[in-house]
Amino acid sequence: MAAPEAAANDGRRRAPSLRLRLGLLGAAALAISLGLVGLALDAAYQRSVESGLRQQMETWVYLVLGAAEVDEDGRFSIDGDLGDPQLGQPGSGVYAHVHGGTDHWSSSSALGQSLPEAATVPAGESRFETPHDKLPFYRFRYGLAWEVDAGRRYPFTISLLADPARVTDQVRAFRAGLWRSLGLAGVLLAAAQFLFLWLGLRPLRDVAAEVARVEAGEQEQLSGEWPREIEPLTRNLQRLLDTEKANQARYRNALDSLAHSLKTPLAVLRAQLDHNADATTRGAIDDMQHLVATRLQRAAATTRRTLAAPVPVAPLVERLAGALRRVHSQDLRSLDVKIQPGLDFYGEERDLLEVIGNLLENACKHGDGRVWLHAERLGETTPGLRPGLQLEVGNTGGPVALERYLARGARADERVEGQGLGLAIVSEVVSAYGGGIEFDGGAGDQVIVRVRFPST
Amino acid sequence: MRILIVEDDIRLQDSVAGMLREAGYAVDVTADGAEGLWYGEEFPIDLAIVDLGLPGMSGLELIAALRKASVEVPILILTARSDWKDKVEGLEAGADDYLTKPFHPEELKARVSALLRRAAGHASPALAFGPLDIDLSAQRVRLDGHEVDLTTYEYKVLEYLAMRPDSVVTKSELSEHIYEEDADRDSNVIEVFIGRLRRKLDPDGELKPIETLRGRGYRLNLQGLNGGA
Repeated sequence: MAAPEAAANDGRRRAPSLRLRLGLLGAAALAISLGLVGLALDAAYQRSVESGLRQQMETWVYLVLGAAEVDEDGRFSIDGDLGDPQLGQPGSGVYAHVHGGTDHWSSSSALGQSLPEAATVPAGESRFETPHDKLPFYRFRYGLAWEVDAGRRYPFTISLLADPARVTDQVRAFRAGLWRSLGLAGVLLAAAQFLFLWLGLRPLRDVAAEVARVEAGEQEQLSGEWPREIEPLTRNLQRLLDTEKANQARYRNALDSLAHSLKTPLAVLRAQLDHNADATTRGAIDDMQHLVATRLQRAAATTRRTLAAPVPVAPLVERLAGALRRVHSQDLRSLDVKIQPGLDFYGEERDLLEVIGNLLENACKHGDGRVWLHAERLGETTPGLRPGLQLEVGNTGGPVALERYLARGARADERVEGQGLGLAIVSEVVSAYGGGIEFDGGAGDQVIVRVRFPST
Repeated sequence: MRILIVEDDIRLQDSVAGMLREAGYAVDVTADGAEGLWYGEEFPIDLAIVDLGLPGMSGLELIAALRKASVEVPILILTARSDWKDKVEGLEAGADDYLTKPFHPEELKARVSALLRRAAGHASPALAFGPLDIDLSAQRVRLDGHEVDLTTYEYKVLEYLAMRPDSVVTKSELSEHIYEEDADRDSNVIEVFIGRLRRKLDPDGELKPIETLRGRGYRLNLQGLNGGA
């Protein structure tokens, strides 16, 4: 499985997160929906206010009719008060006008106003008009035929005009309240949407966290019950993890078996060859031995980076130190171990054993028997990144030209160095983990080897 | 010195046994862990070489069983697995050293010699008793700086006595430690070796390097060698 940072580091753009996608789409849909609802409500309210105005204007028409008098000559007059102060107060915004017959009349409120000319309306019909370019008022016209005693009929048209502000003020007030309410509703709905997204996507986050824990080796497999929709995904993931683990184990066992089955015949060959010394053949045996010990080691190590549990360093080092104190009981004067508390190694335990074991063994064999090992975390702890490890193994009583041990099969002293493979194996394992080795002559006669395993 | 080899690969078992016999050790061999335990419990071996990858009772189990049975001889692990995990487990089970296959014969001999020396409480492979110097690694004996020519068995007897300079060693103990289990033993031969050693190490009869304690056995005469006799 790729490391989390891999996608970020390989130069490709990361796909937007599901939460971002769903959040943006949801927010857009919400904004459009609320906008359309707002527009519809606004239009409906305006229609409602206009309808109310029309009814009010009809009422005013009836007030005018109720107070109207027409004489035999068709002259129109209003007898007494119209009953609504708005029609009597100049500039009130409501104006009545009657024309037809042989006369025309305007309400007191129209004094000083320039009212537009109005066409007549047939008797018994009415017209309601909203303001437009040539008409700056709401207008309601009603046509009637007034019959006088002589049987004559005089046609009249009663026009009621209302200032548009009567409507626009109400609509404006409603609109302000409407958009405030819709805005608040939008915020609440967006919050609810993010809550739903958070809850809805939680199983996916849980899967990712569990896979990370499995990858880090903190747990063996995906646990728990999963929603039906992602259960096939978790099931297949578990299969994939199981297969990965089984393949790693099979590969490692195959390499171990190969190394094991090659080493015993090599031991027999070497024992025989030493009786009949043959430099060329012995060199070939050395090469084979080196390849078996280092290349197979590396091949096995490269399979072990993922799904490896964190290995506590301190107990492992204590075991190694105990073993080496036993082996070197006579020539080891001190073996000081200093390990940062809670230090873990993210890899295979056997790889760390190989590295520390070989370094400590070399330090114990060379020098004057004063050996130390310091181990600490490498770099800062970064979320999603498993920290690295730095080891320092040193001894006094050197110096020894350590670099040359990294060459194939190089040996310092057959009896002391053994097979001359220790540091070569360390080098192979460390490079398989992408780490590095550094040699330091140290102060005086110190020999220090530093190994760095990078964070992963 | 008597060494037990527990190795299931017969070719390697033969090879190692031949190498050690050539170096002057008495060697018993077995390919089976349970039989190795029986050897360790029943016979006075001085060192055991145990292969970890044994069928049946594993090398680790054998080492643990030997220690449990109070067999305190040095144990050298021989393993084809170079893993430190195996080495550490072997050492924790009670082994004293390890050697990874394939190994150099010289290295095996050096480890065996060092373990035997360590078990006897000697830090250095060079033992000095007055004019007598014994190099355990090279199996050389010098008297007043001149090399003394000893046969394999004469050297074995001297080395065994020199490893225990303050102890009385019985004739049967000597016989058990320098001969293998299947060897045709004759206790009189030990007397012959002792006699030859005395002549070679003390031609003038002044040092008296080996004491005979009547009815009890032999002991290296430190006083005589250090000029106090």
